[in-house]
Amino acid sequence: MNEADSLTEIFRGGLPHCLLIVFSLLLTCSPVMPSEFEVISMSKYDLNGQHYGSRVASISLEARSLYSWNTSRHCVLTRLTDLSIHDFDKLRQGAGGLILMLPSNILNLDPETKELITILEQSMLTHTAAVPIYFAPYNKDLEKIIDDITYTTTDSPGQNQTALAQLVVTVSANRYHINVGGGSIAANKNSKIPIIHGELIPNQLALKPTESVADGQKLPVILITANLKTFGIYNDYPVNADAAVLLVLMELFSKLHYTSSMAPKYRLRFLLSDAGVLLNFQGSKKWLEVDDNALQNVEFVLCLDTISESLSYTTDNALYMHVSKPPKDKTSISNFFKLLKSSAEKYSDGLAVEGVHKKINLADTKLAWEHERFSIKRYPSFTLSSVKSPRSPIRTTIFKNDESRLVEHTLNTTRIIAEALASFMYKVDSTSSIFEGQLAIKEENILPYFGVKSILHNNDVKDAFEKYLNNVKIIYDKPDARDPEFMFYNENEVKLNVYRVKPAIFDLFLTFVIGAYLLAVFLAIQYFPRFYDEVSKLTKEDPAGQPNGHSSERVRMKSH
Amino acid sequence: MTLYHFGNCVALLTPYYFTYKYSGLSEYGAFWKCVQAGGIYIFTQLVKMLVLATFFYSDAPSSSGEFNFFAEILRCSMDIADLLGFALILSRIPGKGHSKLITAGLGWATAEVILSRGIMLWVGARGTEFSWIYILKCLESNVLLVQHITTATLIWLFTRHDLNKALKPLVSLLLAVTVFKGVWLEGMLHILTIGPWLTVAVKALVAAVIGFCTLHIYSGLAQQIGI
Repeated sequence: MNEADSLTEIFRGGLPHCLLIVFSLLLTCSPVMPSEFEVISMSKYDLNGQHYGSRVASISLEARSLYSWNTSRHCVLTRLTDLSIHDFDKLRQGAGGLILMLPSNILNLDPETKELITILEQSMLTHTAAVPIYFAPYNKDLEKIIDDITYTTTDSPGQNQTALAQLVVTVSANRYHINVGGGSIAANKNSKIPIIHGELIPNQLALKPTESVADGQKLPVILITANLKTFGIYNDYPVNADAAVLLVLMELFSKLHYTSSMAPKYRLRFLLSDAGVLLNFQGSKKWLEVDDNALQNVEFVLCLDTISESLSYTTDNALYMHVSKPPKDKTSISNFFKLLKSSAEKYSDGLAVEGVHKKINLADTKLAWEHERFSIKRYPSFTLSSVKSPRSPIRTTIFKNDESRLVEHTLNTTRIIAEALASFMYKVDSTSSIFEGQLAIKEENILPYFGVKSILHNNDVKDAFEKYLNNVKIIYDKPDARDPEFMFYNENEVKLNVYRVKPAIFDLFLTFVIGAYLLAVFLAIQYFPRFYDEVSKLTKEDPAGQPNGHSSERVRMKSH
Repeated sequence: MTLYHFGNCVALLTPYYFTYKYSGLSEYGAFWKCVQAGGIYIFTQLVKMLVLATFFYSDAPSSSGEFNFFAEILRCSMDIADLLGFALILSRIPGKGHSKLITAGLGWATAEVILSRGIMLWVGARGTEFSWIYILKCLESNVLLVQHITTATLIWLFTRHDLNKALKPLVSLLLAVTVFKGVWLEGMLHILTIGPWLTVAVKALVAAVIGFCTLHIYSGLAQQIGI
């Protein structure tokens, strides 16, 4: 179509009246449907030999609605909100392709639909699908097409249509042919997961004169980890509240450490990687392999996971501390838990802090929480999260609520964690507020960190780490060439083309109609001499005659 | 849509062939003359293009379809060049009576259909997307064939000195109506915003009416001079 347009463009310039015809036709006839749409491919990656996302990219099939498809030669075109998990289970095995239109605004949906969407999203992320799946951003034209295929296939006998209207519908009923390019999908040989790690070394001045730098190195370690989500069901940037919290904590404690009166008894370490629950916490795994001795003298490992629900549909307001082993009394974790509780009581309205204990299932290929990576190695560790179940679909959702509410919630939680952590580290009474006045956590502190997209994105994270921490290191987890634990795939820019097509029988029908027309024209030309004679007679008498529809083909006159 | 659909569209252009075959042009071997007429069409369009590009401020009409009346008048005034082109064909290409006019009209219309529709049909009608526009265009080409033969006849009548003096203004009027069709007809259709099928029907009707009037005048003159 584009070629045709540009070529006719050339001729239009020279043929002004043709231009008029073209424009008048464009004007009056049903506008030629803009058939090209943006689509985003579902994320494709491998993890532990499992394939997620289809390895087939191109679709060239007939579009059908959710209710009328039946073979693998149909590509289902529907709204995400119309799809159920049951439908999806059938589709991912039987259909030829699946194109889902996203809702125009996720915020306008009711909580049940939101929940359904996230559950569906999780189902898509956990099941391998053979069919190519694409997501199309909301588009009015695409919606029309979806309505059209749904309408034409589900007959509505209730409507009293005239026979003529039904005939018109039969002839003008549109079928749609879907075409998504895409080419071959190649594994990205440069797949890597960046991991950044830094250490907050206590201010030398703050140490007592008897302690040397070496002693400072011997202080017990508290490791704070978080993961940056770099993709979800499709390639977009999810909300990274965890990373924001981590970066804010880093900033706050860096400020505290440089206040000379504060002599911490701990070294704080921060670990941030680009591999979240979807990638089975590969980042922390790699870091544990590389930096074997880093956690020799560890007090505990604090993992942040889904501190704020990016798409909340519940009013559940709680912070859960997930552990693999119930902490014994007087251990650092149980102390911290108590501090966290009292801090939550003090700094929030009604945020409950609860402990959740879940044993590590070693048979499971995927870990439920990041702290399990550390717990396996017998480091005391726990995860702080706003979700109770590790299977909560909120953890992997790409959809997000409006940010202001999210920021507020994150701000609150950060304050609670920061206060609890500070009380723990400085052994101060939990009733004394530390982050007030100069050190108060404000929205301005946290907002820039919400924009963080990846560790390698613009070096933002690296710069922040280098500004506040020492010994900053970035390591990369690269998949093994022979037995890759994970693999990413190259993403091609693809477009969805929807063509209106007619069945072959329609063209046959058209041929008959054209044949009849041509016969009429032929007869008109054959009888034109007679007509001409009539006109000639009229010329002599009174010029009054009815114009013939096929007049003025001034032919055959010569032969008379 | 498919090659078959393209075939359907091309089949709709068969009246061009019918005209050539059954008007007796084929018996005269007037094929080359038609080609020459087509050549003059191309030449005329090139000249028009040059003039339009040089002297006219071309505010490319947006596809949103606003109808700029003044710009259309200016543009149509350039269509007078088409009449000159017809006059050139009629004066340069030898021919006798009816066949001369049909040669001019057919050659002109064929060149137009090939140049302005050919590529669109070849690329578009064979494409995957179905659209009625190609069938409509081909039907419209049939109307244009009638119209171009009419225009050739009108020009011929206009240049004749033995035409009845009383009919002279009528011929001039019909010529003006034909040339400024782009303004009044398109303007009217734009205002009425009728469907594409009706648009073609209205155009066919207009072409038929003008054609009938022309035929009427022509037959009188033809009898008078005995062709």
